[in-house]
Amino acid sequence: MSTNVQRLPAEELYQRELEALISAEHDAVPTGWRLSPRSVLIYLTGGETVKGVEITPKYMGNRRLVEIAIATLVTDRALLLIGEPGTAKSWLSEHLAAAINGDSTKVVQGTAGTTEEQIRYSWNYAMLIAKGPSPEAMVKSPVYRAMETGTIARVEEISRCASEVQDALISILSEKRLSVPELGMEVPAQKGFSVIATANTRDKGVNDMSAALKRRFNIVVLPTPADMATEMEIVRTRVAQLSAGLDLFAAQPDEDTVEKVVTIFRELRFGATLDGKQKLKTTSGVLSTAEAISLLANSMALAGSFGSGSISASDLAAALQGAVIKDEEKDKVSWKEYLENVMKKRGSAWLPLYRACRELG
Amino acid sequence: MKGQLFGVRHLSPAAAHHLRQALDRARPELVLVEGPSDLNEQMPWLCHPETRFPVAILAYTKAPPVRTILYPFAVYSPEIQAILWAHEHKVPCRFMDLPSGVFLALAQVQPEEAEEESGDTTEAVYRRLETLTGEDHDTFWERHFEQTAGSYQDACNAFGQQLRLTAADDELQTAETLVREAYMKRAICQAVAEGVPEEKIFCVCGAFHVEGLRENAPMTDEEEAALPCLDCAATLMPYSYYRLSSRSGYGAGNKAPAYFELAWEALQSGSLENAAYLYLTRLAKAHRKAGNLVSSAEVIEAMRLSQVLCRLRGSPYPALQDLRDASVATMGHGSFSELAVAAADTEIGKKIGYLPEGVNRTSVQEDFYRQLKALRLEKFRSAEAQRLDLDLREKLNVRSAGAALIDLHRSFFLHRLRVLGIHFATPLPSRQEGANWGEYWETRWTPEAEIEIVESALMGDTIEGAAAFALKERADGSSRIQEAAAIFHDAFLCGMPAAASHALTVLQSLSVDAAALAEVAETASRLSLVARYSDLRRFDHKPILPLLHQLYLRACLTLEDACICDSKAALAVTDAMDKLNALQLNHDFLEEDRWLELLSTVSDRDDLNTRCSGFAMAILLERGKADEALLAREVSRRLSPGVPAELGAGWFEGLAGKNRYALIARLSLWRHLDSYLSTLDETDFRRALVFLRRAFADFSPTEKNDIAENLGEIWGVDASQAAELLMRDTTAEEKEILDGLDEFDFDDI
Repeated sequence: MSTNVQRLPAEELYQRELEALISAEHDAVPTGWRLSPRSVLIYLTGGETVKGVEITPKYMGNRRLVEIAIATLVTDRALLLIGEPGTAKSWLSEHLAAAINGDSTKVVQGTAGTTEEQIRYSWNYAMLIAKGPSPEAMVKSPVYRAMETGTIARVEEISRCASEVQDALISILSEKRLSVPELGMEVPAQKGFSVIATANTRDKGVNDMSAALKRRFNIVVLPTPADMATEMEIVRTRVAQLSAGLDLFAAQPDEDTVEKVVTIFRELRFGATLDGKQKLKTTSGVLSTAEAISLLANSMALAGSFGSGSISASDLAAALQGAVIKDEEKDKVSWKEYLENVMKKRGSAWLPLYRACRELG
Repeated sequence: MKGQLFGVRHLSPAAAHHLRQALDRARPELVLVEGPSDLNEQMPWLCHPETRFPVAILAYTKAPPVRTILYPFAVYSPEIQAILWAHEHKVPCRFMDLPSGVFLALAQVQPEEAEEESGDTTEAVYRRLETLTGEDHDTFWERHFEQTAGSYQDACNAFGQQLRLTAADDELQTAETLVREAYMKRAICQAVAEGVPEEKIFCVCGAFHVEGLRENAPMTDEEEAALPCLDCAATLMPYSYYRLSSRSGYGAGNKAPAYFELAWEALQSGSLENAAYLYLTRLAKAHRKAGNLVSSAEVIEAMRLSQVLCRLRGSPYPALQDLRDASVATMGHGSFSELAVAAADTEIGKKIGYLPEGVNRTSVQEDFYRQLKALRLEKFRSAEAQRLDLDLREKLNVRSAGAALIDLHRSFFLHRLRVLGIHFATPLPSRQEGANWGEYWETRWTPEAEIEIVESALMGDTIEGAAAFALKERADGSSRIQEAAAIFHDAFLCGMPAAASHALTVLQSLSVDAAALAEVAETASRLSLVARYSDLRRFDHKPILPLLHQLYLRACLTLEDACICDSKAALAVTDAMDKLNALQLNHDFLEEDRWLELLSTVSDRDDLNTRCSGFAMAILLERGKADEALLAREVSRRLSPGVPAELGAGWFEGLAGKNRYALIARLSLWRHLDSYLSTLDETDFRRALVFLRRAFADFSPTEKNDIAENLGEIWGVDASQAAELLMRDTTAEEKEILDGLDEFDFDDI
């Protein structure tokens, strides 16, 4: 395992935990799975020590949602995770695949340019021309490989794909077989095959999913973190994990800083102060938890490279402004109003941050 | 004790099911059920073949303050099944708990310790369970008790025993529990003394009490005599699943009664698993009925998913939570809101209980049906909405005195029901302006109304008595004169002079320290309405008049000060002025001089809000108390060049607020306005324009047309040309200028 890889796949990063769970397994394991559904749940929600290995929580939200997701895959139905950007859709999908198959890398990234071949198969044209159609000349898509091996394929951002690409999935999901007319053969899906797709609620208008496709998925909507404490917990853990991999040369943000960032994000996201007494203008950006995480990592980088080594008000201010103001005019107004009407009135604890933000503005 | 003690959870289908089986095995000679021992006479009605559950027993104290306890029963209540079993097998059956009067008396001693047994501790335990399992306690209960095969009784008893240990910390609660258990034990001992072999007695009680009944000593005669007791009565009433679901707390209700009934049916049919199939198909059906597309494939997938979900939680069959989550992921496309309507239908349902004719009714119910008959309203007691038009005038062409005024008495009756919050008839708005003798109602009978009637038994023995009590309660609780006036008006509509005069007394005492001008004017005009139409309802209006005078006087005295206000508040002031003006016109005994004098003061003073002054002028004009010369003088004073444009225009706005035709007809006014505008310089003109535009904004096209004619005459333009110019759409060029006005900077005003 190379340590210089920027980002390891989940199954390698958490190899120790997965191995511990496999060796401690005592429930029935579905065909094609490496773990029982219950162990997958433990892997994802954490909080237990198995064979001396502490299982860290991967998804810190509603445990019930994770249960529904796992149960869906047990019934060999496809799973569709829907949510705002930054609600850990891809994160959850990656860890589900890692826990179930030990392989989270069979991914199709949905874009406007994704073609049907990327869902099914394409050809190595040099070989195709030289030798004619043969199994060797075939370039199999991740979905194809998943069918062959009875594992899970992931389709990211499915709603970005054109409708014909989405339609290609329909026949695979309902027939559970893929035909290759060029070679006159049909590939049946092995037991254990399934698809986890993710879709973004903000992209709904881009390519709305057809009812036919929706019907083939069990749908789980991932919410933004329900309360302040959960969100802070998520931010703290993820920042620690991220910075460990990135050599940021800065101290971890303290409790107070995390709380401030999460407060600002939550207030602007929901358009009201935490106590609900004051209505606020929302911003055009999503201000997701994922953004809060990268914002803190960003300020750590600033502090580590150019500052004192621990996050100061001015490091935070620059990063905050960058995160909040996406659409110049409108967001600037919202942000300024927030500074003057809310932050300024919060008293001395917030004063340094307020000053730093105002100086930038 | 040697008899059978069967611990249950209230409103639990599994308990009901296992209880029946246990009864079949035990073949007892006496069944004792936890429930107030003075309510035994209600039992035959519970077993009546026409009775449909849910029903509830309501016990209430006869003397105020009225306290109540409610025992709701669904078909799946273990108590009910025990009673029914006894009835079917001709075995005597009795309630064995403290009499309801004692319960009510105990509740009075410790108000917070009310109806529920061990309520707080149970709640606390449930909260802990919820944090431990991550599921709500109903789901916990369903998984671990409803679905256990066979060993239900042991599980339940163990739970009760553990709960007892936890509850032991709470002294008050423990004390109450001990008293109840001693009493129940005494009931058992009494039965033994009567000659029933102890092993042939079967007791159904909360799982919590099992150990207490086993261990504790019975209550002695002296202890029993020392129990506090209140005089109370009880009645049966139909109940609804909706009500059952909206009451939380152990024993008082559960969240998904229709689902629990499903589970009960499934248990009866032999397999609890059927509940899941029933639930999902009914949900799908309800969802389709709400206009959505649900394929059978989705229902099948929901079933499969729910089965895996329950296995993840280690329960044999899907619990309600599993079924619901599975349906959301499949039929609901991820969001519960899509399924909300169908889920409410399937989980709560619309079921309402029914009691056979002849069941002992509360006196209010008796009174209601008697009056319904006497007023010939019986045909309106149907589930279908019907129109009822009343003519309150005395009919001269009928024979009996009663028939002549039947509609008036119907109106009294329906208004009394309305005051009591009984949803039988709703008043519709009057179709004819000023026809005060006509009243229009829409009637519709629902079992909910029956429940509401029973509930009003707490307030009195007849509909009238209850309404009087309700009105008095409301009157005593009111803190603003408007409220008191509304209550007075209600009492007037109900034809209840005593209640009306009480409301009037309250109104009077409140009016001493009241109140804003607007409130006083509003109240006075309400009273005036009653005074004017009192004859129609055979109501003596004389007691109102002094108060009316008092309010009028107060309004007159405070009006001047109220006129010192900003333009926002001025609207309320002019509104009040309008009402007072109508008041004075309607009642001669209110001094006219005072009003007119006041109006001219307000009109003359130029340190008041100009809009109010303008409005005062408008009233004077309307009443013919201001002549042409006065108007001319005022116009030139108010609209003179030195006066800031917004003040002048505000005054004009007030003036235009009333009696526009008279205004439009006065050519001299428009001449003044014209000359005033022509004296303004560019900036002042722009300012004035903004205000004048607002003043004319709500003039109708005809009125605008008339103004145009006036202006045409003044400027010597052909009237039709002027009108055309005024009425046509604005050109692009003009629009630009108007847009410029919108950007007008008000900061320096």
